Order: sequence, then structure tokens, then C-alpha cells
Amino acid sequence: MSTQATALERYRGQPAAKRPGHDPLPYSLLLPSLLLIGLINVYPFIVGFLYSLKDGSLLKQGDFVGLANYFQLPAMSDFRHALLFSAIFAICNVAGSYAIGLGLALLLNQEMPGRGFYRVALLLPWIIPSIVSIVSWRWMIADQNGLINQALDLVGVGPIFFLGSERWAIFSVIMIKIWRSFPFMMISCLAALQSIDRDLYEAAHIDGAGRWQTFRDITLPQIAGISVVLWILMTIWSVNDFETPWLLTQGGPSNSTENLIILAYKYTFTRNDVGTGSAIAFVSLIILMVLAWMLLRRQARSEV
Amino acid sequence: MASIANAGTMRRGGSRNWALSAMLAVIVVVVNLPIITMVINSFKTTDQILAGNDLLPRTLTFANYHYITERTPFWTYFANSFLVAIGATLLSIFAAALAGYALSRFAYPLIRGYSSILLMVQMFPLILALIPLFILFRNLGLVNTRLSVILLYSVVNLPFATWMFRAYFDAIPRELEEAAMIDGATRLQAFFRVVLRLSGPGVAAVTIFSFLFNYNEYLIASIFLRDDAKMTIPVGIQMFMQQYQTDWGSLMAAATLAMLPAFVFFLLVQRYMVYGAVAGAVKG
Repeated sequence: MSTQATALERYRGQPAAKRPGHDPLPYSLLLPSLLLIGLINVYPFIVGFLYSLKDGSLLKQGDFVGLANYFQLPAMSDFRHALLFSAIFAICNVAGSYAIGLGLALLLNQEMPGRGFYRVALLLPWIIPSIVSIVSWRWMIADQNGLINQALDLVGVGPIFFLGSERWAIFSVIMIKIWRSFPFMMISCLAALQSIDRDLYEAAHIDGAGRWQTFRDITLPQIAGISVVLWILMTIWSVNDFETPWLLTQGGPSNSTENLIILAYKYTFTRNDVGTGSAIAFVSLIILMVLAWMLLRRQARSEV
Repeated sequence: MASIANAGTMRRGGSRNWALSAMLAVIVVVVNLPIITMVINSFKTTDQILAGNDLLPRTLTFANYHYITERTPFWTYFANSFLVAIGATLLSIFAAALAGYALSRFAYPLIRGYSSILLMVQMFPLILALIPLFILFRNLGLVNTRLSVILLYSVVNLPFATWMFRAYFDAIPRELEEAAMIDGATRLQAFFRVVLRLSGPGVAAVTIFSFLFNYNEYLIASIFLRDDAKMTIPVGIQMFMQQYQTDWGSLMAAATLAMLPAFVFFLLVQRYMVYGAVAGAVKG
């Protein structure tokens, strides 16, 4: 606060013309944010990297081991599995949430009674706390008595032990993640659809284009730009997701639903191996940085 | 595949609209089935839930709500969640409003570069921040304090809050603050008295979005808040889920209560949802 006050003092009496770089006010406006980012992002980034070069625990610093923590990763089967699961989780979630989100956006883009209500009601899975969605889903897929198994029983199938087998656990985690993600895709696609120039549709209509043709030749190209941005964003969020798999399965059964974030968490906070945990966290940072770089390039291109 | 092309004709042909509306009503129910059954089950006893004969209970019971009120620290968690969420929201709103103003009004290269920093913050893996910060905060005695969580949440909120503020400030004509400055106000005074006041609805939207995120967050809280007396709702319910896996009734009552504030705040800002979701993401 005091820095702002002095910046304010200095600003008084200056000519109205803004000479870039010489006016301290704009920079001091960033100061509170930069202080927070320094403590919560920059400090952990530097110290975390140092940890990843040591064999320390949560209690003692440990010795410098160079890049050994990184070199061991490719040989670790749990790391390879987590890498694979992170990729499958992200790809399935992006594809699933985009398909459902776009489909619903196309429906909601039409005039109908109750449209405003439906739009709001379909956002609920996105806005409720993760723990609430997991509690509600756990009951749906619970053994024997859960709603899905009761329904399966009616048609003479099952019961399926969704969280008991590795394959079904992976399926369940992905399904619930899609459920939590599609509303974002839906609302973003709806915004994109509504920004399309209606004259294009009029023209297509006059030219006698069918519905599928209109969709393929007008709607899809018009929302392609934002779609790519949405895919990259959702990939980042999926790779970064801890809560969905952790709250549902805690990475199990065995380690089937462990992604990189959960693995880094387990190494650090349950196995007390800060070196390996930090190295895994840095690998996920590198993956996310590549994705962010793609996003920036994409945004730069769409702004031209 | 549906398209807007038919919107005009469909307004006349009302019967198809009703069909579409009915279809969406079914979709809404199916999609929200987990939430709906959770709320209904919270009014059944665990035995009734497990018997699972009727979807709707014949008699409503508040036994689960009584139980979590009398026997668990649920309302302590509830209060903690609010304290943490409000503290973090205030801190991030303060920092983000100032930064958003800088981004909106001063197109210096360094200020523009700050937007890229925000993108980095946005994708920074939390786990990477949590490992060193846990060790640092433990040495500083900040573990099990609300301050630790408030500091982390406020940074997680920064990117989207700053981008939203910038978008709102961009829409306010510069002439208004310039007029105030000619009348003798400093730029900061002009910002607080003119720009911020005119973006009232925007400030409200950003505030509630931040609050929603803070209120819902689990990972950070689970690492820093380890005492019953300090835990937030998501951490408390997770503990409960671990210990009493089969007590579905209480679990669902707790989750239903936990959902209510998020639900109410969401209804207040749902009109801005598109804005919040897309503005930051697409404009960078």
C-alpha cells in the first residue's frame, strides 16, 4: 500500500502526456499482483527445481544428486503409467466434453420455450464443488445398490463393480470428468455460435443448402478458431486435474487412475520423497508449458 | 444437426419448438440425475437408501441433517469455508482490479507482457507450488492457518479476475476519468470514484466467480488445513467419506448443504458465465 501512495505522490503535477516507461503508476498498479505471484509461483518454481535436484524429504534438505531424479523416471513403471493415463484422460475428456458441449450448444441455439432455464440447468455439473459431484456420483455407481446397477439389474445385466476393477475405474473417472467439463464447452460453443453472422445462413438458405451442408460449410469453419482454443484449454485443465481422480479413487485400484499430478502428490506427501515428487511435478510443468505455448500461438494468429 | 438457419421459420412452427423443449427437459433431468438423487436421498435414512425400492421417499426425514449438525463439525467447516473464500476473494479482487486497470489503460510493452505472465500462472501446476510452499509455510508456522490457503487461492484467481476486470474497464470511456482528472482528481482517485463505480455489475460478477472457485477448492485446502477446527467443507466431507463410507444418508445431507451456497451464488452470476469463461480464455 505504501508504494502506491508514493507512486501517487510522484504522479501528481506531472503533464497529462503519458510517456511509456517513465510513469511509475501503471507499474505500481501491478505491484500487489506481482508480489503474490512472486511468493506463490516464482519462489516455488525456483526452490522446487532445486528440490528436484536433491534427494531430500519433507523434513530434511538432502544431498545434491544432479538430474538423477529425472533420469530414473522413464524406467519407473508407475511414472510411465501415469503419463499414459494423463494422456488418455485428457484426450477422452476433450473429445467427450466437446462433442456433448457442441451438441447441446446447437440445440440451445434455437428458439424454444424454457431455453434460458435449460441453459442454466445444464451448467450445474460445472459449478458445484468437486467433492459434491464425487459424492453424488459415488452413489450412482456404487456396488449393487447404486442407481446405475439397479437400472442394469432391470435389464438383467450386472452388477458392475465400477470402482473395483481397473478398467471400470478408468472409465468412471473419465466419464465423471466429462460430466464436469461439458458445460464449459457448451457455454463457450454457444457464445461462438451466437457470434456467427446470420447473413451467412440466409445466403446458404437461398442457395438451397441442406442442414448438414450448412453445418459443415458454415457453422464448423466459423467456430473452428475458438474450438482449437477450447481444446487446448481443456487439455491443460485435464492434465492439471487432481480432484476428480483423487476424490473418486485416490488413484486406485492399484495405481490405474493415477495421473502425473497424483503421482507427484503421492511421492511427496505420502512417500516423503520430495526429489522424485518435484521431478514429476516439473515434467508436468513442461508438458503444460508446451500446451500453453500452442495456445499463445493460436491466439496470436486469431487476433490478426 | 440443428442450425440457426431455421430459427426464423421455427418461431412460426411452434409445435417443433415444444418437441425440442421437451427433449431438452429430458436431457436436463438425465444430466442432473446424480445431483437430483443426492438431494432426494439426503431426506431418506441410510437403510431406505440402501434398500433402494422407491426413488421418491414416502416420508421425509431430517435425521441426516440432525446427525451432521449434532455429531460432526460440519458447521465449523462451513464457517471456515466462508472465511477462507471471503478473505481470498477480497485479496484477489484488490490485486486484480488494479492490474486490470493497468492492462486496460496503459499499453506499454512491459504491461502487455504481464498478460503472458498471467497465462503462465493460469497453467502453473498447483502441485509444483504446493511442495516448496508446504515446507516454507511449515517453517513459518503457517500450516493450519487460513492465511496460507487465502494466499494461494488469491493467486489462482488472479488470471481470470484480471482479464475480466480489463474487459469491463475497456468498455468504460476514457473521457469520464479524464474529465474527473481535469476537475482535480488524481488518476487513482478517478479510477476508484469513476471507473470502479461504473463497473459495479462487473465487479460483482468477478467477486462471485472468485468466491465460487475458493469455496469449491479441495487440493490446496487438504494440504494446508489439517485440523478439524480449520478444515473447509470439501476437506471435511472427504474425511467423512473416508471414515463412514457406508453412511450414505449423512454424506448426502452434508454434500447437499455444501452445494447450496455454490448454487445460490451461481444463480446470481449465471448471466456473466459466458463472459467469465470465454473472456479470459480467448482474449488472453
